[in-house]
Amino acid sequence: MSTTTEGRAPEAAPAPAPEKRGLVDWLVGRLGLSATMEDQYNRIVPKHATNYIYCFGGIAFVLFIMLAVTGILLAVYYQPTPDAAYQSVINISTHVQFGWWVRSIHRWSAGGMVLLVFIHTLRVFFTGAYKAPRELNWLTGVFLFLITLGFGFTGYLLPWDQKAYWATKVGTDIAGSVPLIGHFLLVTLRGGEQISAATLGRFFDLHVLVLPAIIVALLLGHFWMIRRHGISGRL
Amino acid sequence: MTRRGFLKWFIAGFGALSLAGVLYPVVRFLKPPPAVSSAIGQVANIGALDSFPAGQLTAVTVHGQPAAVQNLNGKYAVYSLICTHLGCVVGVTGDTFKCPCHGSEFSPTGVVTHGPATLPLPTYHAQTQNGSLLVGPIDLSGAKYPTWYTGEFGA
Repeated sequence: MSTTTEGRAPEAAPAPAPEKRGLVDWLVGRLGLSATMEDQYNRIVPKHATNYIYCFGGIAFVLFIMLAVTGILLAVYYQPTPDAAYQSVINISTHVQFGWWVRSIHRWSAGGMVLLVFIHTLRVFFTGAYKAPRELNWLTGVFLFLITLGFGFTGYLLPWDQKAYWATKVGTDIAGSVPLIGHFLLVTLRGGEQISAATLGRFFDLHVLVLPAIIVALLLGHFWMIRRHGISGRL
Repeated sequence: MTRRGFLKWFIAGFGALSLAGVLYPVVRFLKPPPAVSSAIGQVANIGALDSFPAGQLTAVTVHGQPAAVQNLNGKYAVYSLICTHLGCVVGVTGDTFKCPCHGSEFSPTGVVTHGPATLPLPTYHAQTQNGSLLVGPIDLSGAKYPTWYTGEFGA
C-alpha cells in the first residue's frame, strides 16, 4: 500500500523559490539588457574625477532637460506671429497659472546652460580631456556649444519685444557681414531683407524643431563616446 | 520593519512627493486660464440693488476687475477701482477714493482731488433691471486712459 493519498499528484521536487523581482529587473530580462546593466553597475568613477569641476557637463544636461520640459509647456500658449507673440508671452506671465514660474525657469535655465556648457568646455580644455582618443567627443562638444548659443539667439527673438527685435537685427547684421555668403545668410535667417513675420516664423522653427533635433542627436553621440572612452586620466 | 524596508519606503515616498511637487504646477499650467478678453464687453449682473446702501461706495468685482458701486439715492454708478496714475487698486473710505500707492484721491464722482493722478476714475456702463444692477463695458471715452483698463488683450 502506497502512502500517497489517492487523487493527489506525487510530490514533485520543490521548485526553486521565484526570485523577488521588480519592474526594472523584468524589463532588463525582457529586453536582454543584463550585460549592459552589469556594465553600468561595474563602472568606477576614478578618484580624481570625484570633484565638483567634473560636474559641469552633468549640470548643463540637467538644465537642458528642464529647458526641454518648460519649453514644451511654453509652446502650449506661445503664438509665433507678430500680432500675437508679445501678448501671448504676457498672457503666459500674467494669466496662465504658474506661467511666470515656467517661463522664469526657461529663461534662467537658458542663461545657465550657456554658462555651464562654457565652463564645462573650459574644464575639458584645462584637464586635457580633448586629447586622443577623445578628439571626436571634443568636436561634438564644440558643436553642442554652438547649438546652445543658437538656442539662445533664436529664443531671444520669440517674445517679440523691442530688445528681441534689435538683438536680432544686430545678430543677423553680423551674419550679413560674412564675406561672399553674408547676404545669403542674412536673407535666409530673416526670410527677407527686413526682420518680419517670416523671421519670427523661421526663428521659432529653428528654436523648437531644428535645433532640438540636432542637439539630441549630438548629445547621444557625446554620451555614447564618454561611455566608450571612459573618463579621461588625471593630469 | 527592517532598516532596508524603511529606507525603501522613505525614498519611494520622497520620490512620489517630489514628483507630485513637479506635476501639480504642470497640471495647473495646462488648465486654460480664465479668458480676460471675452469678459470685457459682456454684461454682468453684480447683485441686487438693496445690497448697495445709499450714500456710500460698495466694493465689487466687475469682469474680474475691482470696482465700486455708488448709490446716490437710487442713482447707481460703477467706478473702476484701478488708479489712473499707475494702475494700483484704489481703496474706498465712506464715499471717497484714496489710492494707497501714491496718495491719489478722488471725489465721490471720481474727479481727482489730490495728485499724482490726473485723470478721473473711469466708470462702467450700468443700468438697473428687475431690482439688480447690470454692468456692461467700461467707458473710456472721457479721456485717453492708460492701457491697463482694457485688459491684456485690449477691449
